Amino acid sequence: MNRPSKLKMAAIHAGLMLTCMATLYPVLWVVKMALSPSDSLTLTVNPFPESITLEHFREVLLGTDASGRWLFGRQLLSSLVVSGATTLVGLALAVSAAYALSRFRFPGKEGGMQTLLITQMFPATLMLVPIYSILEKLHLLDSLTGLVLVYATTALPFCIWNLKGYFDTLPRELEEAAVMDGASPAQVFIKVVLPLARPALAVTALFSFMTAWNEFILAATLLNDPTRFTLPVALQRYVGEYKVEWGKFAAGALVISAPVMALFFALQKHLVGGLTAGGVKG
Amino acid sequence: MKRLLALVLLATAWSAQAAGDAAAPLKLWHAYRGGEETAIIQVTQLFTAKTGVPVELLAVPYNAYADKLTNGIPHGAGPDVFIFNHERLRNFHAQHLLAPASKLARGDYFPNALEALEVDGQVYGYPMSLKSLALYVNTKLVPTPPTTTAELLAMLPALSDEKAGRFGFAYENGDFYFHAPFLFGFGGELFDASGKATFNTEGMARSLAFVKKLQDDRFIPQEITGALVKSLFNDGRVAMIISGPWFAGEVAPSVDYRVVALPTVSETGIPLKPFLGVEAAYVSSQSKQAEQAQALARFLSLGEASLVRTTVGRQIPADVAAYQLQAVKDDVLISSFREAAKNATPMPNTLEMLRVWEPMKLALRAVLQGGTEPQDAGALADRRYRALHRERPPDASPLPWLGLVGVMAVGGTVWVMRRPAPTLPFKRRYPDVALAATYLAPASAGILVLVFIPFVVGLSLSLFHYEPGQYSFVGLANFIDILASRGYSISEPLSFYFTLAVTLLWALVNVVLHVSIGLFLALLLKDPLLKLKGVYRVLLIIPWAVPNYITALMWKGMFHQQFGAINGLLVALGMEPVSWFTKFSTAFAANVATNTWLGFPFMMVVALGALQSIPQELYEAAEVDGASKWTQFRHITLPLLRPAMLPAVILGSVWTFNMFNIIYLVSGGEPGGGTDILVSEAFRWAFQRNQQYGFAAAYSVLIFVVLLAWSSFTKRLMRASSEVMG
Amino acid sequence: MSEVILSGIKKSFGQNLIVKGVDLQVREGEFLVMVGPSGCGKTTLLRLIAGLEQVDSGEVKIGGARVNDVPPRDRDVAMVFQSYALYPHMTVRENLAFGLTLRKFPEAEITSRVQEVAGMLELSHLLDRKPKALSGGQRQRVAMGRAIVRRPKVFLFDEPLSNLDTALRVQMRGELARLHRRLSATMIYVTHDQVEAMTLATRVAVFNGGILQQVGPPLELYNRPANRFVAGFLGSPAMNFLEAKREGSGFTGKGFTLPCPVDVPADAGKVLVGLRPQDLRVAAQGPLAGTVDAVERLGFDGYAFLSTEAGPVAARFEKGTNVTVGDKVSLAPVADSLHVFTEDGARALRHPVDRDSLEVAS
Repeated sequence: MNRPSKLKMAAIHAGLMLTCMATLYPVLWVVKMALSPSDSLTLTVNPFPESITLEHFREVLLGTDASGRWLFGRQLLSSLVVSGATTLVGLALAVSAAYALSRFRFPGKEGGMQTLLITQMFPATLMLVPIYSILEKLHLLDSLTGLVLVYATTALPFCIWNLKGYFDTLPRELEEAAVMDGASPAQVFIKVVLPLARPALAVTALFSFMTAWNEFILAATLLNDPTRFTLPVALQRYVGEYKVEWGKFAAGALVISAPVMALFFALQKHLVGGLTAGGVKG
Repeated sequence: MKRLLALVLLATAWSAQAAGDAAAPLKLWHAYRGGEETAIIQVTQLFTAKTGVPVELLAVPYNAYADKLTNGIPHGAGPDVFIFNHERLRNFHAQHLLAPASKLARGDYFPNALEALEVDGQVYGYPMSLKSLALYVNTKLVPTPPTTTAELLAMLPALSDEKAGRFGFAYENGDFYFHAPFLFGFGGELFDASGKATFNTEGMARSLAFVKKLQDDRFIPQEITGALVKSLFNDGRVAMIISGPWFAGEVAPSVDYRVVALPTVSETGIPLKPFLGVEAAYVSSQSKQAEQAQALARFLSLGEASLVRTTVGRQIPADVAAYQLQAVKDDVLISSFREAAKNATPMPNTLEMLRVWEPMKLALRAVLQGGTEPQDAGALADRRYRALHRERPPDASPLPWLGLVGVMAVGGTVWVMRRPAPTLPFKRRYPDVALAATYLAPASAGILVLVFIPFVVGLSLSLFHYEPGQYSFVGLANFIDILASRGYSISEPLSFYFTLAVTLLWALVNVVLHVSIGLFLALLLKDPLLKLKGVYRVLLIIPWAVPNYITALMWKGMFHQQFGAINGLLVALGMEPVSWFTKFSTAFAANVATNTWLGFPFMMVVALGALQSIPQELYEAAEVDGASKWTQFRHITLPLLRPAMLPAVILGSVWTFNMFNIIYLVSGGEPGGGTDILVSEAFRWAFQRNQQYGFAAAYSVLIFVVLLAWSSFTKRLMRASSEVMG
Repeated sequence: MSEVILSGIKKSFGQNLIVKGVDLQVREGEFLVMVGPSGCGKTTLLRLIAGLEQVDSGEVKIGGARVNDVPPRDRDVAMVFQSYALYPHMTVRENLAFGLTLRKFPEAEITSRVQEVAGMLELSHLLDRKPKALSGGQRQRVAMGRAIVRRPKVFLFDEPLSNLDTALRVQMRGELARLHRRLSATMIYVTHDQVEAMTLATRVAVFNGGILQQVGPPLELYNRPANRFVAGFLGSPAMNFLEAKREGSGFTGKGFTLPCPVDVPADAGKVLVGLRPQDLRVAAQGPLAGTVDAVERLGFDGYAFLSTEAGPVAARFEKGTNVTVGDKVSLAPVADSLHVFTEDGARALRHPVDRDSLEVAS
C-alpha cells in the first residue's frame, strides 16, 4: 500500500473536521442553553455561552419532591432498572429467536422474517391505546415490568434482524465441531455461538437500551408514581402547557444523553463489526 | 451477570411493594410546575390536615397528560380528581370520564367560568383559575398604556425600529388563541346561529387586515414564538406584549411592567375580547371514593385554597369570594388580570370549537407569511374546515366482512389441504422444528401479544368511525374518503396523493443523503494511516446518541427566521435570511437537514463495517490491472457494498417513512400541512382532529400497504444482489 | 467394537439425490479412505456417520448398534474438519479440553489427557495461545488433538490436509499414519487426493455420483479396478482408454492392433482397452503411433503425451530417451499389461496378472 500524499491527508482531515463541526454545532448549542443563566430559548449564532451557571444542572440533578425525596436519584435508578431489564429481556428473546431463524429449518421462516419487518411499518403512535388495554388485562399497568415488556418487544424486530444477520456470518463448522465434541444444542448456543457473537450482542444491547432509555409517552402514560418515572418523563415535565423551561430542558437532555454517549464510546469498536442490519456476508 | 440479576430482583420487589399499599389516598393529577406546583402541594396538605384524608399527587408531563387520562380512567387506573383546562371538557365528557360537580354552589364562582364548564345544563368540574390574555406593558417605554387601538397605533412608530431589533408590540400572532381577541374585537363571530364554525366573515377579514398591517409596518417581529416574545420583552426590546398570567413568572426582575386589559377597537368600540380559559378540578367518573373526591375538588377551588393558589401559585381565582380578601385586593397583577378577564368570552367547550384551530392557523399563517389577502383567508379556512370536519359515514353491516373472513379461512384450509403431499414426511423435512419452536417461543409470544395484537386491532380500527365515546362500523368508508381525496384536488396538501408524494420524496431524499454522507465519511475514515480516527468516529456518532425529540427541538430553534443560528450564518456570509417555514421547499429542506443530521451516523457505521468486509486483495488486483481509484470504487466498492448496505437501507427507509418526531416538531407540517408526511397526517387525525381514530387507522393501513409494496420490491433487489455475491 | 456399517444409505438435499444407496463396512481399527471427485457424496456420507445429517433411508451402525436416531454426541465419534473449526474465543488448551469438559470429566483427568495429547502433537508450548496466533500446521494439529483427546471409537477426517502446503502435507501424512498405528482406532478419512488415499489407507472406497464404485486395499484397486471410473481415478497420469474390437487374435481400433490376451472371451465384441502410461514404452516400432504434444520430464523418468488416431495417449519414458514435442513416435505395451473393460466401462473383463502378488509369491 503506497503512502497517501500529505495533501490528500490534509484534505481528508479538513473534510472530517468540517463534518464534525456541523455535527457538534447543534449539540454545543444545547450545552449553551444548559449553562446559560436564562431559562429561555437562546437564539444566537454563537454556540458558546456568554456566562456560565450550573443552576439548571443543580435543579435537574438535585430537585426533591414535597416529602424531600431525591427525585433525580430515584428516577435515574428507575431508568437504569427499566433500560437494563429491557436490554436483558430483549437480548434474551432476540438472541434465541435470531439463532433459530439463522440456523434451523422450519416452515414459515421466510414469512416470519418478513412479518418482523412489517411490524416496523405500522406507526407506533396508534398502538398506544391497544397496548394500554392489553397491559391492563395482564395487570401490568403502573409497573416497571409492563414497561420493560413493551420496550423489549418493540425493540425485538430490529434486534432479531441484526443478530440473525450476524449469526449468518458465523461459520457453521464451529457449531458442528461443538456438536461432535458432545455439546447439546443449548451448550453449542451458549458456549460457542454467543461468545462469538459478542460484537453483535453489544450493538443489539445498546439498541435495546436506547429504546427504553429515551422513550417517554408510554412511560408517562403507564407509570403513576413520580419516583418511578423514567428520566425522559421527568425531562418532559419541563415542557409545560404554556411555557418550556429551556435551560432545564437542555440540562436534562444532556444528562439523559450522557450515559448513551458513554455507551457508544465504550462500544464503538464493536459497533462497526456488530451492526450487520441483517446481511453482511462473512 | 449477578449484578444485573440483583437489579431485576430489585425491580420486581419494587413493583410488589407498590401493589401492596393498602391505604387508599385520593389520587390527584396535575401538570403544574414551579409556583403552581408548590401551591397545589400546600393546598392538598391543608385538605389532609382538615379532613384526615391523604392525597397522593402526581405531576404528569403535559405532553402525555390527556393520553394518560383517557387511557387510565376507563381502565380504573386513573386519578380521583384531576386538574385540566376546560378546552377538552366535551371530549372527556363524551368518553364518560367525568362525574358532575355534585357539591358545587353556583354562587361561589364567576358566571362565565361556570358557563365554560357546562354541558347540557350540568356543570362538570370545580372552576379553579382563569386564564385569559392581557396587555403587558413595559412602563419605562410606555408610561401610559393604550386603551384603544388608535392610541396603540399612534404609539407604535416611535417605539419600533426593526433594524435595531426593537419593536413596539409583540404577541404570538400565528396562533389563533392570540388572534381571537382581534376577531371578536372587530365584531367577528366564530359560530353561526346553528353553532357551526364560520370563517368567511367581515370581522375575520378586518381583524386579519389589522394584524397584517401591524406586521407590514414592522411594528411587530416576524415568525413570533413564545420564546421570542419572552426574550424581547425581557431585553426591553419590545414595549408591549399580549400574554396570559403564566407570563408574569417569566418577566426578568429588571423589567418594570404592568398588566392592563386589552385595548378597545376604535373602529367598532368593542374591546379586544380574549378567550377565557378555565382550569378546573374534575372528579373522575370512576372514582371509588366519589364523596371525598368531590369534597377535595371543591376544596381546591375555594377559600383558603384560593388564597394559597393566588399568593403562591399566582393563579387568577375563579372564586368570587377570593377577591374580598385583602391579600388578593392588594395584588395588582391578580386584580388586573381579573379586570382583563371581565371582557373575556368563555371558550366554547363544544367539539365544534376543537375543529376551529387548524383552519384558523392555516388562515393566519397564509396571511402573515404566505401573502394571502386578508379577505381571502376566510375562504381558505372554511375549505380546510370542511375537509377536516367529516360527517359520520353511514353505518355498514359487518356481515359481509365476517362472511369474507369466513370464506378466506375456508379457502385457506382447502388450499393447504389440496397442496400436493410433500415427498418427505414433515419430520424429515424439518428435523429441527421442535428445537426451533423452543427458541422462538418467548420472542414470538412477546411479539404476538404486544406487537401483533395491537397491530391487528389497529388494522381493524380502520373499518370503524370513532366519535368520542363510541365506535361504529362503517366498512370501507374511511378508505374511500381518503382515496377519493375529498373535495381536494390531488395537488393540494391534505390530499392523500399529495402527502404520499411528499412522503416518498422525503424517504428518498433522506435515504440517499444518509447513505451517501455515511458512505463518504466511512471512506474517509477507512484510511488505515489516518490519525485521530477514533476521535472523529466518536464525534460523528454523537447525533445517534441524542434522543430524536431533543434533536428536533434543537433544529427547530436553529431554523428560526430572525434569531436562528442558520440564518445567522447566512447573514454572516452576506446572504439574505430565509423564512424557512413559509415555503414548501425550504420547510422541507429544514426537515431533511434535521433528519440527515440524525440519521447519517447509522449509515456511516454500517458502511464502515461493510467496507471492512471487502477483501483488500481485490483492490490490489485492480491496482495491478491498472484500474483508477474511481474505477475501483465503481466496480469493486459499490457492488460489494450492496448486499451489506441494502438491508440497512431498507430498514432506514422504513424508519424514515415513519419518522414522525422530526416532521411534527421541526416544520409542524408548515406551510399549511404541505410538509406533512403520511404518519404525521395520521397522527393529526388521531390526536388533533377530534380523535378520529378510525380515519387515522385507515391512514396507517395505507402507510402499511405502501411500505409492504416497497419491501417486496426491495426483496427482489436483495435477491438480485445476493446473486452478485454468489 | 468400533466397526461402522452402512447399509442402503440414501440422502438427498431438496431435489438432489446426493447419496444413492451405499453399502459399506468399515472394520474395526481400519483406516478407510473415501475418495472421489467433488460432489460424489463422500463428505455427505462422512457427515451422516457423524450424525450431522440424518439419513433419508438406510441404516448406520457404529459398534454394532443402530445409530440413525442417536445424536452426534452419543455416537462416540470425533471429527476433524477441513477448516479445522477451532473455537476462536478459546485458547488451545480450552479447545482441547472442550469435549472433555462437556462430558464432565474430572479436572485432573482432563489436564493429564490434554498434556498427553499436546506432548504427542508437539503443542505443549502453545497451550495458552488463541488459534489466531497459530500457523496453519499448528492449527491442524490442534484440530487433530481435539479429536484424539476424547479417545473416540471412530475418527472422522474431512479433507484435513487440504489447506496445508505440500511439505507440511507430506509431514502430516506421516504423522497421521503413525497416529493410526499408535491409536489403532477406526478412522474414516475423506479426501480427493489419491496420493493420500494410496499412502494412508488400509482400504480405499472410491465414490462417483453418489455410488460406491469399489472398495478394497489400495493396490488391489490400482491393479484390479472394477470399472473404468476406478481405473481412471487412481494412478497418475490416468490410465489410457482405447476403444477396440476383438478381431481374431487381436484388438483392433482406429489405427492400431494389439495382441489379445488369451483370457478374453472370443465373443467380447466392442471393448475398452485400458493401458497405464507406465506400461507403455517408446519404441522404434510398436502397435501405437502418434505425435508428441507435450513432454513432462520428472528427472528420473518422464511422460510423453501423444495424439494418436485412437485419441490422446500418455506414456512413460526412461531417462535418456530422446523425446521432443512434434516427434512422431511409436509405443509398445509391456507384456501382459492390458486391462479390458466392457464398452461402456461399467465392468472390468480382465486385468493383467497381479505382478505385486506374484513377486510376493515367488
